[in-house]
Amino acid sequence: MEKKFGVYICKGCGIGDTVDIEKLKKNTVGGARVAAELIKEHAILCSPEGLELIKNDIREGTNTIIIGACSPRVKFEEFDFPGALVERVNLREFVSWTQEPMTEATQTLAEDYLKMGVIKTQKGNLPEPNILPDLSNAIMVVGGGITGLTAALEAANAGYQVTLVEKEAELGGWSAKLYKETPRQYPYDKLEEPQVFDKIKEAESHPNIKVCKSSVVEKTEGQPGLFNVTISRNGSSETVKVGAFIVAAGWKPYDAEKLGHLGYGNPNVITSVQMEELAKKGKIVRPSDGKEAKKVAFIQCAGSRDPNHLPYCSSFCCATSLKQAKYVREKSGDAVAMIFYKDIRTPGQTELFYKNMQNDPGVLLTKADVTAVTDAGNGNLYVEADNTFLGEKIKVEADLVVLAIGVVPATRAPQEYLDGLTEAGKKGDDAKKAYVESVPKPDFILNLEYRQGPELPSLEGAYGFADSNFICFQYETRRTGIYSAGCVRQPMNMSEASQDAAGAALKAIQCVEHVARGIAVHPRAWDATFPDPMLIKCTACKRCTEECPFGAIEEDTKGIPSYNINRCRRCGTCMGACPERIVSFKDFSVDIVGSMIKAVDINEDDFRVVVLACENDAYPAIDSAAIKRMKISPSVRIIPVRCLGATNLVWVTDAFSTGIDGLILLGCKYGENYQCHFVKGSELANYRFSKVKETLDKLQLESDRCQLMQVAISDYDKIPQMINDFVARVEEIGPNPFKEL
Amino acid sequence: MAEQIVKPDLNFINEVINAGGESLKKCYQCSTCTVVCNVTPDESPFPRKEMVQAQWGLKDRLFGNPDIWLCHQCSDCTAYCPRGAKPGEVLGAIRKLSIEEFSVPGFLAKMVNSPKFLLVLLAVPTLLYILIIASQGFFGSVDIPTEDGKIVYGKFLFSLYYVDTIFTAAALFAVFSLFLGVTKYWKAMDAANPNTKTGSVGSAVSATIVDILGHNRFRKCEVTKGRATAHMLVFYSFIGLFITTILAFARVIPEYIHHLKISEGIDVHQLDWLAYIYKPIGNISAAALMVGILLVMSNRFKNQEKAGLGSYYDWLFISLVAGVGLTGLLAQFLRMANTVAAYPTYVAHLCLVFFLFAYAPYSKMAHMVYRTTALVYARLSGRDQGNA
Repeated sequence: MEKKFGVYICKGCGIGDTVDIEKLKKNTVGGARVAAELIKEHAILCSPEGLELIKNDIREGTNTIIIGACSPRVKFEEFDFPGALVERVNLREFVSWTQEPMTEATQTLAEDYLKMGVIKTQKGNLPEPNILPDLSNAIMVVGGGITGLTAALEAANAGYQVTLVEKEAELGGWSAKLYKETPRQYPYDKLEEPQVFDKIKEAESHPNIKVCKSSVVEKTEGQPGLFNVTISRNGSSETVKVGAFIVAAGWKPYDAEKLGHLGYGNPNVITSVQMEELAKKGKIVRPSDGKEAKKVAFIQCAGSRDPNHLPYCSSFCCATSLKQAKYVREKSGDAVAMIFYKDIRTPGQTELFYKNMQNDPGVLLTKADVTAVTDAGNGNLYVEADNTFLGEKIKVEADLVVLAIGVVPATRAPQEYLDGLTEAGKKGDDAKKAYVESVPKPDFILNLEYRQGPELPSLEGAYGFADSNFICFQYETRRTGIYSAGCVRQPMNMSEASQDAAGAALKAIQCVEHVARGIAVHPRAWDATFPDPMLIKCTACKRCTEECPFGAIEEDTKGIPSYNINRCRRCGTCMGACPERIVSFKDFSVDIVGSMIKAVDINEDDFRVVVLACENDAYPAIDSAAIKRMKISPSVRIIPVRCLGATNLVWVTDAFSTGIDGLILLGCKYGENYQCHFVKGSELANYRFSKVKETLDKLQLESDRCQLMQVAISDYDKIPQMINDFVARVEEIGPNPFKEL
Repeated sequence: MAEQIVKPDLNFINEVINAGGESLKKCYQCSTCTVVCNVTPDESPFPRKEMVQAQWGLKDRLFGNPDIWLCHQCSDCTAYCPRGAKPGEVLGAIRKLSIEEFSVPGFLAKMVNSPKFLLVLLAVPTLLYILIIASQGFFGSVDIPTEDGKIVYGKFLFSLYYVDTIFTAAALFAVFSLFLGVTKYWKAMDAANPNTKTGSVGSAVSATIVDILGHNRFRKCEVTKGRATAHMLVFYSFIGLFITTILAFARVIPEYIHHLKISEGIDVHQLDWLAYIYKPIGNISAAALMVGILLVMSNRFKNQEKAGLGSYYDWLFISLVAGVGLTGLLAQFLRMANTVAAYPTYVAHLCLVFFLFAYAPYSKMAHMVYRTTALVYARLSGRDQGNA
């Protein structure tokens, strides 16, 4: 494509009052080498007349458009010109709203921004989507419980082919094993028949759903749109091609054998799962002698919220025990159900059920720390508890004790096994071999043929749940196109799991639709660019494959990377990692950003600070500060980057060798509670940055001249001050000694 | 603290619910009630623990405790309860059940607490007076004697036999029954809290009386602020009416001496001057009683939303006090007006006073004895340090 440029400057929203537009145009002609007749201005560029000005030029052949107006984060519909390469230069927020009007410094700043915008389009190219051949839009659901069934039905009803894989002989999971369900509708006082059987019937007869029972996923290869999944059933295998996955593998009850202190082992101490079986059979009778239980004690948080067992709340056990208390009361009017709890947690409308159950005179509740369950003779038991309002230390006799057992996600065992394997691997091949031989291998769920491991990655602080850890995108796992839902993601009740399933189904549909259009799945869901490495120059250092947060890059036996582009989220972490600087996007590359840095006007009498700002949080935060008309030093040049993880160290050299006095990397918080959209971009940038000190020392530059700052989008009110303080500090250090060279 | 065995009692839970504590089970033990309560001690405060104990049916724990009586049902707790559990009302119901538990004979308490037996209980004094009036022949041909055409109740029903004897007997019965009741209560508290009492009973009693006379605890109520004033009016008018009764009785002693022929020469009018003292006291007290009880009623209606209206048990007592005051005043005015309607009004007054006296150990009237006992006990066991 031969580029035909057009530069359009808006004078609205105060830009015309802040900047001398004539001077700006003249400088752009000189500085960015654009012909004067291609630079146009308009009083309100986003008005129909202003837009017509641009469209008219497009009709005449203009295909590369630089718009000097407001932030690219606004008016994106107005300034969307399909087929043209468009660059938005943020003259409104970064100049007009944050600078003193009509000063020399403000003028230079506007000229630099416009020049950088022109250079970006000169170096960049119009993206062409990379649509891989033979894509499938089918969806595979792993797990046939309430979550998996709901997800399968949602996707199937939306018109997508679904393969539902269930390892048991029948569909339904835990919900098919229940005697009754907690109320689902107002006034939340009647137990309901399990709803799952309707869903099983619907799924089994649905034309878009293929049900595979007694089946497991033996192997998963490929990438979104192109997963080849081997399903094994009773020794025979078949391969299915799907576009996306929903993992609804569910949960297992916590191992009650570990709850000896709560009396487990005594036949009359049972789990809530066993209680469902009892209730299904008829009267609540105790296992030891078949006597009808009249004093049933429920112990909440059996394993849950206990640092020695499961540190988290399992979410639905309170409602389950209240429901089972109703079994006790409905089956025998003179029986009492005694519930010992830490706190009753009944989320959402379940609270109404709690209130209703409270009102039953025979449902007795007390806050308590249960310390022991001991034998009281004749098969009876004593529940011993501390810190109750019935007394400091109490003992209550019961004829049956039910432990409200906690939730362990199905993903936990494989994650723990794999973590152990990694640890053993660090000690050498012998240790690894010994581990494999001694530790029983648990059931894997996905068996991914990924360099980064066969299952969803274990996330710190998620206790084995396949949770996303993305604060804004809860269904996203760190494997693109694979979505978790239900109790495998978080402990939740069946209503919540059904909603979760619908959400995950929508995400899976989004995934197959995006890869069909050759655009990123998430979170840059509009992005048609993709990393395009010049592999001929690759030195097989494997940094890109190691650092990709999403396992998108495999490598061959020689260590040369191969991109599974549909797994890629376009963060540019590989671009930042590459020491050979061979990874580029059409509109974002080491050269483009480097050239923009080099385009900054260097003045011996003035200071220049470049801010590389994360597009996801830091950049919008600066826009917000601008809306509040907070002042930012005119020495500062802000350049957006997709993620701080895309920061290539050569930019530091570019900046300081050009004569820039200071450099800020402005990105997300990392470490625990990280906020990075791409998991560890800012953390990687920090790691790389720590190496910069040596380089700066070599150049005889003060390392204080560059700094990484962690900010959140909500820090907009602090960011201008942080930047201005940094500029002041750089001024104290003095000008970059390279300036004069 | 030693381990306590907790034995839930479903029957007792239902009893509390049926006795006016129907909101009992709504409590979820958040402790807002104990935090907003101004009259609870800081250590192991009420009413949350009472709520939990009642939810589990721990009768002995509740009854063997002065705390249920330290509560004055300000209803601050009820007003602030986030679940509508109305601890004030529930504790009221528990107090009622505790009186039922301790009072002798127990069946009378059950009758007093139940609207079903109201007519039966009323019938006792009514039939008694109908019989007396019939025996005088007033229903037949005999005219009610007057004094120079003016109505004198003493001529209608000779007070020595038909008032003083009957009421002294009723009062003695009540005092004896109350004594038995509080003795049981005291023992129950001793059993539940062994070896906690220190200090002298005498000083505890006197401190408690000072406390009660000043209504010091009552004044700490916030939501039902006016209740202390209303209760004080009723309380002091009862004292005034008690003094009136004693003086009126003293006045007629010479007459009784003469009538019983102990000393026939006695000047039967020698103490008539006492009337100049007790009549004003009596009338002022009666007026105060009416104002007080009307305030009690209006407070109940006013605070209905926040504090609850109250149970049958509460309203029986309120109505009785109001009825005694009203019939008493009316009987006086009608007598002065010299109309024949004075007689039935007077009889109604006597019947209501009988009701108040004879059933005092079982009705809410008993609260004055049980609460005083509990306050003394609380002081002795360090549960109540006064009004610091």
